[in-house]
Amino acid sequence: MAAYYRNNSYSNDEDYPDYSRPQDHNKEYLKIQNYLDIPGSQNNPDYPSSRSNAHSVGSRTNPGFSGSLTEPDYPGSTGTPDYPHIRNNPYSEDSRTSPDYHRSLSEPDYNEFQNNPRHLGSPRKPESPRSQRNPDFADSRISENYANTRRKLDHFGTLEEADYPGAKGNTNHPGQRANFNHPGSRRGLGYAGSRVSPYTDFLGQPDYPGAENQPNPCHSFGEPDYPGSVDHQNSPNFWGEPDYPDSKDGQGYSPSEIRNTTRWGNGPSGILGGENEEYPESIEMTSVKMANPYGHALPGAPGNGYVNPAFMGENGSLGANGNLLSSECDWHGSPQGQKLIESLIPMTSRDRVKTIRNQPRTMEEKRKLRNIIDKEKSKQSHHTLRLNCCAHCLSSISLGCRRSKNSLSELLSSISLWQKTLKVIGGKFGTSVLCYFNFLRWLLKFNIFSFILNLSFITVPQLTVAERNTLPFTGLEFLTGAGYFKKTVMYYGFYTNSTIRHGSSGASYNMQLAYIFTIGACLIVCFFSLLYSMAKYFRNNFINPHLYSRGIAKLIFCWDFTVTHDKAVKLKQKNLSREIRENLSEILQENVKFTFRQQLARFSAHVAAWLVSTGVAVACCVAVYYLAEHNSKFLHTHKDPGAVLLLPFVVSCINLAVPRFYSMFGLVERYEMPRHEVYTLLIRNIFLKISIIGILCYYWLNIVALSDEECWETFIGQEIYRLLLMDFVFSLADSFLGEFLRRIIGTRFIKSLGLQEFDIARNVLELIYAQTLVWIGIFFCPLLPLIQMIALFIMFYVKNISLMMNFQPPSKAWRASQMMTLFIFLLFFPSFTGVLCTLAITIWRLKPSGTCGPFRGLPSFIQSIYLWIDTLRERSGYMWVVWIYQNLIGSVHFFFILTLIVLIITYLYWQITEGRKVMIRLLHEQIINEGKDKMFLIEKLTKLQEMEKRANPSALILERRETEQHGPLHLMEGSATSDLRLRRSVQEDYLKA
Amino acid sequence: MGRCGGDRQAEHLPTRWPQLLDPGTLEAVVLTMGSKQTVFTREQLEEYQDCTFFTRKEIMRLFYRYQDLAPQLVPLDYTGCPAVKVPYELIGSMPELKDNPFRQRIAQVFSDDGDGHMTLDNFLDMFSVMSEMAPRDLKAYYAFKIYDFNNDDYICAWDLEQTVTRLTRGELSAEEVSLVCEKVLDEADSDHDGRLSLEDFRNMILRAPDFLSTFHIRI
Repeated sequence: MAAYYRNNSYSNDEDYPDYSRPQDHNKEYLKIQNYLDIPGSQNNPDYPSSRSNAHSVGSRTNPGFSGSLTEPDYPGSTGTPDYPHIRNNPYSEDSRTSPDYHRSLSEPDYNEFQNNPRHLGSPRKPESPRSQRNPDFADSRISENYANTRRKLDHFGTLEEADYPGAKGNTNHPGQRANFNHPGSRRGLGYAGSRVSPYTDFLGQPDYPGAENQPNPCHSFGEPDYPGSVDHQNSPNFWGEPDYPDSKDGQGYSPSEIRNTTRWGNGPSGILGGENEEYPESIEMTSVKMANPYGHALPGAPGNGYVNPAFMGENGSLGANGNLLSSECDWHGSPQGQKLIESLIPMTSRDRVKTIRNQPRTMEEKRKLRNIIDKEKSKQSHHTLRLNCCAHCLSSISLGCRRSKNSLSELLSSISLWQKTLKVIGGKFGTSVLCYFNFLRWLLKFNIFSFILNLSFITVPQLTVAERNTLPFTGLEFLTGAGYFKKTVMYYGFYTNSTIRHGSSGASYNMQLAYIFTIGACLIVCFFSLLYSMAKYFRNNFINPHLYSRGIAKLIFCWDFTVTHDKAVKLKQKNLSREIRENLSEILQENVKFTFRQQLARFSAHVAAWLVSTGVAVACCVAVYYLAEHNSKFLHTHKDPGAVLLLPFVVSCINLAVPRFYSMFGLVERYEMPRHEVYTLLIRNIFLKISIIGILCYYWLNIVALSDEECWETFIGQEIYRLLLMDFVFSLADSFLGEFLRRIIGTRFIKSLGLQEFDIARNVLELIYAQTLVWIGIFFCPLLPLIQMIALFIMFYVKNISLMMNFQPPSKAWRASQMMTLFIFLLFFPSFTGVLCTLAITIWRLKPSGTCGPFRGLPSFIQSIYLWIDTLRERSGYMWVVWIYQNLIGSVHFFFILTLIVLIITYLYWQITEGRKVMIRLLHEQIINEGKDKMFLIEKLTKLQEMEKRANPSALILERRETEQHGPLHLMEGSATSDLRLRRSVQEDYLKA
Repeated sequence: MGRCGGDRQAEHLPTRWPQLLDPGTLEAVVLTMGSKQTVFTREQLEEYQDCTFFTRKEIMRLFYRYQDLAPQLVPLDYTGCPAVKVPYELIGSMPELKDNPFRQRIAQVFSDDGDGHMTLDNFLDMFSVMSEMAPRDLKAYYAFKIYDFNNDDYICAWDLEQTVTRLTRGELSAEEVSLVCEKVLDEADSDHDGRLSLEDFRNMILRAPDFLSTFHIRI
């Protein structure tokens, strides 16, 4: 380390002569005085106290300053490895008298030797050097309150440096800067520069450990060839924020100071030259500060930036708490840390954990943060409650709660199925194919939930009173769902309408109510969970749909990290390069204008395709309807049990064949964007499937239910069962035969075809279709979710095997997440809402069959509820239920008002969204304008510099540097824009130049 | 080096443990007995839970994955927080990272010193950010760092070139690559300074909803 510092300081041959030159010192000295005067003369309303503080420091400092500057062996002392660290305590030095100064110079040397090991990466041992340090300062200082606080701040600084492994890279600057709390004004600037988000905040801030990656390795490993120039390059980044105190003492004491500090130290020299460049700067500073919320939130900021209760308090406990706190000091030291801690403390523990997790920091830092918060929290609770045992109780309870919650979440996550399989699929096929399987799994969970609900509230109570089933079982029943199953808990017809009662005194169980309420609850839960996931997906994936563009940037930055299989990675890279090429050629060609004739041809192709597809769908519906009608007549005359399978077979055939026919339209139709093709195909397919289900529903509700069928609910349940089962069989056959054959053909016979790609849209639509059937059937066949559960379970494995054998990864970058949103939306809108309508009609309008089922004998299903309410009316204890029913559920007025309110809220939100859209546009424009400003300024600067060079070619590098940094720069920057990033980038440009 | 010291001993801890105790039993020990001869103390586990997006089980699983990478190096007792680092060569050979074109960058970004050698903390950090639960902003931040090859807090044209060459395995010609970079900068650089800042990057990521699901490594 010693070698490094020496190396660094000497190799900075730009810096070094700067300090050794006497006139420079003088200049700096004068300048400092000058600077110190300015705050007094200038009425800066924002920081009167901090300013005056600075002043007083300065007045005391000056002797020390001049002493150090005139010291002949000053350069020599730079050779000591610790020089930069001395800068840590300039303030305490300031507060001392000048004779002390020399001593303090040597002492920090010693201290820094102690510090060095810390720099080598032992962040846990900052305690010893500090304790050594303490007496030093205490001895040498007269107990001035004010000086004390400063010293403490310094402490934080040193500790922070010790703790931050990442901050080491740039010679302690971050620590330095971070601990000077009193120039909160300056800090405000720093915030303003990086105001947009917390992350940028950190980026712009010096004490962010990750930001200094590059210099770090050199530093921590003590590589001898640490290039000073790198340091130079980097330092402006972190030192873009000017720091007054820094400039003051930094100038005087540390020759190894890097450029930016010098810049600021030199800054006031501009004043000497006559331009009052300090002024605009400070004005800007205040304005920024006013605009900057952070500055005020800063604990260091209130009133005077100096006496900071948080800091003081922390210091008080510092001595007591010793080791632990010392490791936390980096958090207190840095303003972000402070802010973060402040904001974290009032949060609930859940939010707190969430926030801590979301910090882009290393584990070590997060852990410390967590410990600090815990400590603060406990301290607070001690203060507020005063009852130690009570607080202890509370904390232990909350801890227990958290633990149990953790274990619960663990339990839930352990249920998550097929984690490994999904990983393999993701690794081989990427996220897009994975989303099909995720969807499948999601549906499976849905069905498991419905099944458990139905089983426990409908089936199990019914099973306790089940009669013996006398029907024969042949095995064909598995396919037809009729016969033996007719008299089982499977179907509606089997359930009793009586009240189940076991024993003479046992609780009664009203099957009618249980049936209707369970199904209702199931549907309501489905509704809300669907709504929730839909909203979640929309929130995540359609943040601002207006911003979508077919950008190439997305291709590049959205590499699929889930893909881990080497072949898949290669294929993906190949596909990606192809796609990039396509994209490039598209961009280069611009949009090829089509002639009118071409456009007409396209348009007519679209119209024709739509007409044909709609026609086919309608034809299918009509066919299904007549088939169903004739089939039922046919079944009355013929008693062949297998004949019932005709209708499901035809429907499944339609579902299998017509989508493939639709996809052939792609040969005729031409779309500008492939996405449009996918969407069109989806819409056509969903239209087909939903209209087939719709026509079947019409047939069931209008023909079957009104006919004098013996038990029409059971009949519908059987039909749905058969449809579902047939669909499943077809999917299996398709996977095993269709896809397999396709592979054989593609690889053996027609090689040009190659392997096919997994058609996600078609497969997902099949799932949606099946789920729709399940929802419709859940009323007529309460155990249908079980069937679907089994089907999905098998389907997962079958599809998985088929995928691994027969398919290749998709070649196009698929908008998987958007598609997923669309799928869930489709599941919600035509499918689930359709089901709700159907069931509502059934329950409110239709007459239950008279001989079977829990509702037998009633004029309509809903009548059971009415009767229940009537019985409740007679019991005084349940009046609230009656009230709720009468005034809320049964009342038209209530729904009218509710609808009105919802409409108003929707309208308001819509307006807010519109307003935000405008805001976003304006902000976007502003960003662009700022960028232009920046470019303009940089251009101007370069020009100025060129002029300067030409005018004074013989000037030394040194002077160039000075002008570069202080001459026109400040004036322009100060007046032009408050954006600090600008400053940094300008500086960098110069350094590069 | 480590905050608890004792790293020397830690490296010489019995390496036969992995053979003697299978992960399942050890984990059970951790879950039931807390601070006995275990991998982590209860507090440690809780800290990890609070600081990552993982459950206890997942943390244990990740630990064993980490331990498996270098069974000689990584002790099975982490209660003393030994400062063990698994070298990049081993980290990069994990099946999850092996074929990732950015594996080196990922390891560098998440390691303490930017050299790709990872402590357990780094390792957990990495997979926490890459997990499904991590929010978009966090992911975007680290993605930005991964794509920022020269660590200058901006994605400049050179960084982009690196990215594109890695993504396409050199299938694009030099002109095409530079054209792509130009286009990307055109699209995403909203303040027109010729490079992408973190804000630019996040803006762009907002427009790419797939990012959330693709910047994800399954464990």
